[in-house]
Amino acid sequence: MDSKFRLLDKRGGFFYVGAMAETATPQIQPGIVQTTEDKPKSGLEPGYLVICWNDPVNFMDYVTHVFQAVFGWPRKKAEFHMLQVHEQGKSVLTRESLEKAEHYVHQLQKYTLHATMERDE
Amino acid sequence: MKLVRATNSRLVFELGHREQRSLPQILKLYPCVPPAHHVFSKSDRLPDREGNQQLLDEAMAEQRAENKKQVQALLTDPRKFEHTEAGARLSLSLAEVEWLMQVLNDIRVGSWVILGSPDQKPAELTSANAAHFLTMEMAGYFQMQLLEALGGET
Repeated sequence: MDSKFRLLDKRGGFFYVGAMAETATPQIQPGIVQTTEDKPKSGLEPGYLVICWNDPVNFMDYVTHVFQAVFGWPRKKAEFHMLQVHEQGKSVLTRESLEKAEHYVHQLQKYTLHATMERDE
Repeated sequence: MKLVRATNSRLVFELGHREQRSLPQILKLYPCVPPAHHVFSKSDRLPDREGNQQLLDEAMAEQRAENKKQVQALLTDPRKFEHTEAGARLSLSLAEVEWLMQVLNDIRVGSWVILGSPDQKPAELTSANAAHFLTMEMAGYFQMQLLEALGGET
């Protein structure tokens, strides 16, 4: 069983270092004018952010699994957010209405992840 | 603890004698996470923050009570732990595996909180912290076996 514990030590907490996803390069074709249009925030219902915070106790594989189970994400997306938590201390998992954000926070806390809801300013 | 059979709906694990003894001992410790551990929001800019915190506290208390009943049912159901020469066989539905991982993580995180939420392993094991550290590691061990078995399924 000692060897299992040594294995867990390596996996335990957020001790893995992983590569972040590459940034996609926008492709602009000649003759096509690209515009970016931000939706005005004023007319929208205020959004609520579901944030997962880093802690040294939850296994990285467990966090990935929870993100998949709660949000139905594919493994790559779940891993991306897990690594963001690990490397940046937190990850904004989603922006939702009050009720939906509350639901997700409850689900994540059922799995004993350090997740909170914050107002999107 | 190793996965010996997997179907679309069930996973069967074989536990050695020591695992057969230690898994129930660990599960009996549920719940470990103190209620105050669950924080709904870090900022005070939410509407009705206290009300939301109360809702979360109530939801967690309800879940703890339900989980405790389920743990008791698991430990006393003779169909779940089938004795074998090697130790025991534990047969779980996929939903039960998911649930058991939540329970084990509560025990793991709760033990970590009792240890003072350290960033690293305790430098020295003493009579005061050794049992909590062992519980944390054992819960993590069983949790990882379940996680690996699920990973093989998906």
